[in-house]
Amino acid sequence: MAPKSNAGKEIGDEAEVLQAVILADSFNKRFRPLTTRKPRCLLPICNAPLLDWTFESLALAGVQEIFVVCRSHPEQIKAKIAESRWSKPGSGIKIVPILTAKETFSPGDAMRDIYTRGLVTGDFVLVMGDLVSNIRIDEVVKVHKERRKTNKDAIMTMVVKESGATHRTRSKADAAVFVLDSESSECLHYQPVMGYPPTKVASVPREILVAHPDVEIRNDFIDCSIDICSVEVPSLFQDNFDYLDIRRDFVHGVLTSDLLMKNIYCYVAKDGYAARVQDTKSYESISKDILSRWAFPLVPDNNHPAGHLYEHRRGNKYIDKDGTVVLARTSTVGNKCLIGSSTEVSDNAQIISSVIGQHCFIGEGAIIDNSYVFSGTTIGPGCVIERSIIGSDVNIKENTHVDKGSLVGDGVVIGPNAHLEAFSRLSKRRERGNTNQEEEEDEYADSEEEEVESAQDSTTINLGDDSNAIVWPPNTSDEDEDEDEDVENNKNQRFMRLGDSASDLAFSDPGSESSDEDSDSSDEDSEFETRLGILPTSSATSLSLDAPDGSSQDAIAEFQNEVRLSLERAFAEGHSVDNASVELKTLRMASNVPLSRVRESVVAAIVDRIQIIEGSGVPQRQEIANVISRWGPLIDKIGGVDAVETISALQAHCASSDRLLLFGQILAALYQDDIVEENDIREWHESPTSQGLGLLPGTRTDNIKKCWEVGSRMIQQFDEQDDDEESGEDEDSDEDSGEDGEEDGEEDDDSEGSEEESD
Amino acid sequence: MDLGVATSEPLTREFLAVVIVGFGNELVPLTSNDGVEPCPKALVPVANRPMIDYVLSWIEQSGVKDVLLICPSIHRPMISHHVHSGLSTLHIDVQTYDESPESNTGTCTLLRHFANRISEDFIVLPCDFIPPPSLSLSTILNKYRTENVSDGSIATTCWFATQQPDKNLLVEDWGSIPPPVPMVWDDSTGTLLQIETAEDLDHNSDEMELRMSLLSQYPRTKLSNKYQDSHVYVCRRSILDLLQEKKHFDSFREEFIPWLCKIQYQRRKREKYGPILNPITNVLTQDVSLKHSTLRTNPKVTTKGVLHQSSDADASSPFDPESTTDSSSLRVGIVLHSTKTGYATRVNNIHSLLDMNRRMLAEATYTLPTDPQSRSLIDPKAQISSDSIIGAFTQVSERTTIKKSVVGKHCTIGKLARVTGCVLLDHCVIEDGAKVDGCILGKNTKVGAKAELTRCVTQAGYEVGPAESLKNEKLDISDWTAAPDESDEDSGEEDEDSEEDEDDSDEDDDEIE
Repeated sequence: MAPKSNAGKEIGDEAEVLQAVILADSFNKRFRPLTTRKPRCLLPICNAPLLDWTFESLALAGVQEIFVVCRSHPEQIKAKIAESRWSKPGSGIKIVPILTAKETFSPGDAMRDIYTRGLVTGDFVLVMGDLVSNIRIDEVVKVHKERRKTNKDAIMTMVVKESGATHRTRSKADAAVFVLDSESSECLHYQPVMGYPPTKVASVPREILVAHPDVEIRNDFIDCSIDICSVEVPSLFQDNFDYLDIRRDFVHGVLTSDLLMKNIYCYVAKDGYAARVQDTKSYESISKDILSRWAFPLVPDNNHPAGHLYEHRRGNKYIDKDGTVVLARTSTVGNKCLIGSSTEVSDNAQIISSVIGQHCFIGEGAIIDNSYVFSGTTIGPGCVIERSIIGSDVNIKENTHVDKGSLVGDGVVIGPNAHLEAFSRLSKRRERGNTNQEEEEDEYADSEEEEVESAQDSTTINLGDDSNAIVWPPNTSDEDEDEDEDVENNKNQRFMRLGDSASDLAFSDPGSESSDEDSDSSDEDSEFETRLGILPTSSATSLSLDAPDGSSQDAIAEFQNEVRLSLERAFAEGHSVDNASVELKTLRMASNVPLSRVRESVVAAIVDRIQIIEGSGVPQRQEIANVISRWGPLIDKIGGVDAVETISALQAHCASSDRLLLFGQILAALYQDDIVEENDIREWHESPTSQGLGLLPGTRTDNIKKCWEVGSRMIQQFDEQDDDEESGEDEDSDEDSGEDGEEDGEEDDDSEGSEEESD
Repeated sequence: MDLGVATSEPLTREFLAVVIVGFGNELVPLTSNDGVEPCPKALVPVANRPMIDYVLSWIEQSGVKDVLLICPSIHRPMISHHVHSGLSTLHIDVQTYDESPESNTGTCTLLRHFANRISEDFIVLPCDFIPPPSLSLSTILNKYRTENVSDGSIATTCWFATQQPDKNLLVEDWGSIPPPVPMVWDDSTGTLLQIETAEDLDHNSDEMELRMSLLSQYPRTKLSNKYQDSHVYVCRRSILDLLQEKKHFDSFREEFIPWLCKIQYQRRKREKYGPILNPITNVLTQDVSLKHSTLRTNPKVTTKGVLHQSSDADASSPFDPESTTDSSSLRVGIVLHSTKTGYATRVNNIHSLLDMNRRMLAEATYTLPTDPQSRSLIDPKAQISSDSIIGAFTQVSERTTIKKSVVGKHCTIGKLARVTGCVLLDHCVIEDGAKVDGCILGKNTKVGAKAELTRCVTQAGYEVGPAESLKNEKLDISDWTAAPDESDEDSGEEDEDSEEDEDDSDEDDDEIE
């Protein structure tokens, strides 16, 4: 209480009322299903609603007027505010709840609402409704106002708490890298960091070095979301309707904008405590921080926001002072525990680093380990609760096992002898009977709950005979809608989940070599490893990442299309064969198709390139020779030389296209350009597939046979030629080869002739 | 601590200083040949003292006794004569590389070539670093010694703050100053983390990219482009093995060091190059005892990957934590020298040469020589300001004014001449009534009577005609003996851009022939 009155006076002297705006909605669903019937800001942490902790933090800072912007369950928040001790006369604080439309989907929308209502009149403190802080915000406000006197463009001061890169309260999934000027703490760049997909590099714009030669890059800040904003901040939101998130959009937008010319500063809090209950993981760590007295003077035994009185015992145990707590003689309460009033702990029960609400009952031999039990809950004998959050008025019957990371919503009954898998989420089935009364509530309960309920029939999990619970599916169902870039994507959310180490998703500098070391051959390995690292390995937390099985066929079709396009481009732009082959190789790597497919596609593309010239054979032959001599070498450049396969591919393509008649000529041209050798033709000719054996009868098979016949004629010629050569004697080897070429030409003619015959 | 080690120390040398001397293309025309005689960069004086002396005495002061001096073969006679004629106690081994100025030999190539002569940890030094008295080599060596043993740092570098020169004082025709290099370091541990390379700039010209693995290991880093690399590197011997492995590196400063910084925080590089840098034989002796130390913070905390922070026992991780971490950090240390405690520079362009000379003058106090022979050369009617340095056997005639200038040995300055803010190398002749302002005159430069020279640099042996007036120029002999070639000059200026000592171009030779 003391700090409040002092601070109030200081500010009063300046004759300006310090206003604060609390955004009492999280705009996300990280706490579901605990938040289906209750706004997040009313969830208790250490037995006091989050909103009260926030009020307490603001009161400590000497704030005199608080606007609470609420969206979901506003009547509950209103009621809570009304009964809060801060709204009593004489508290020196005026708390005004502001109901915003249900269409307010982001903090940005809320800011626009604040602007249109014209609530704020001067510099104000903007906080979220889930803040626990003992930082003297009034100091920050002072610094901010001083700065405003000299620099009108300093529109905002963000309060950040120095911690460490891996501090438990620092979210891995939703952190940020700040680039600050070493001297003035001006924020020069803001880069959000996500757990999944992992942010690999932080990009610092070079231009900031021009004006600020010395900057610090900080990856060790806990962003407490306490912002001292000037009055123009809401109007900036109004002007830029695409600003949604205060950090990712607004701060980033202001810092990168060339037009606004506004500055944002950071206030680096070196001591003090400030953190946000953003997700279940931070819920746990902040609970522990409070119990370990890091948030002093906000501790359970002093200044408890809900007005409870706790006795602080050795080992940071807190037991309610009013003497209504019954601890059985043989029960054990470990260190860092908080037990609310009228709670009974039976014989042999163990409570380890947990928070138990008021009016709870812990049965005999139950073990509650690192869990958070809200008030009015009964935990039956022999139950084991590990690292979970249990809502209020829950009844967990005997011998039930709740595995880590589970969230059990208010009023749920489970057991006896149930077993909750890790990361289960349960909520109470809604009573269908009296819809009229619930109508009002329904307005705020969203459709998701109904969906979950309707999907219950298939659930096979044993929740016990008397259970009224519905099981929420693991976060995989809406994978399609989730953009991976979004912070709320499923895998990223796992970093925020209580008890989930997400070590299978963890980022361990993947591909550290690949981008830097072009010369190193290990690039691919590292990529592989990255992929491995992302795949879920712990069965308990597995995500459905099943690769669609039917996709390989599509992939090949797509690949063939790509090859066609790429070659078309190469033909049109006259690329060199080498360049074209490099492009193809890359394509092949990217789509992971076998080499034979590539060959098929390339042969097909080249054949299609040859234009059919009606009529006489000579221009047609010329055309073929041109195309083959220009692009033929590409066939052997795509990796590996397999002439037999080339011929087969050619045959297959000709057989199924209108270039059937050109088969012989093309083959001859290939032979002439040494892309296929005589032996290859013979080998191909002998193979059963080339004869169309084993194929269903049809035009294609007929065509294949026709091609084969052309081939046999060619071989016939080879044989004749061999005979000639044998008969012809004493020829110079040079001449020999020269003649060979000529003879080849003749063969061409012949084969062409044969084609025309078959026509 | 270990007596055995202590007694064996005198037998093995701890460090070998490797001084790399380049052609000094960036100081053209001062380093262009004087007739047929080469003018080695190492012997270009700063405040009448060859610049290599600064480096050598710096080495000497740190207690290092052995120097391997690598210079171009044509410079060998002069450099060898110079370093062996002094009173230095250093044991200097002058080695040469057979390179003509046109081909470019980087420090990495040189080190690879001379690797068999380096059997211990070594210090790579340039010949052009002028350290301030407040920065001793021992400071850098001590940091290396401590960190090499305690957490396995592999090298220590030294960076100094630069001052962007005043735009107005810059003579554009002297070539541009290399742009500042942004680099990232961790202040608390003194670790160099990232240096921006030309490749990075090509890759992304708008943003500088920092790996998150770097930022999670060093969450509080600093980024600045105020500092310049001194090219002083204390390196572990095994770095030479690494150089053998990575054949494609040529420049030590521009390519190898930026790459070396990355090993410590990139897991794959660690795995690959860690064994090379940490051969099993030479570590682990102190490691075992240090593990039991209660006074040291465990380096494992910092070297450990981001991944294994989680306390969950069941965290099944595809990576084995032990395989990736060993006790050595493989980091590259950094010693930062700020301008507050003394000005450091590398004399690798004409601007810095003039600047350094001027700074030296600020500390100098000129008094007339006491020795009667030298005394007699200086006319009593000459005005010499106290912030000047006049070399021995220099003759100054009557009513001549010398202000803020360094005048070399055996110079002759005529009557009524004005020398202001200049650096005159040895054997210069300034005839009566000439005015020289803000110039650097190479050896044997002759300025004719009543000539006016403002902010010019001359090649050795250059002659300025009487009453000629020149401003803001680089004066090569080719300018008056042969037809001036524009393109030649251009290429000369480009050379200035790259600071690497070994950068060479064909310019010199062309002109001399």
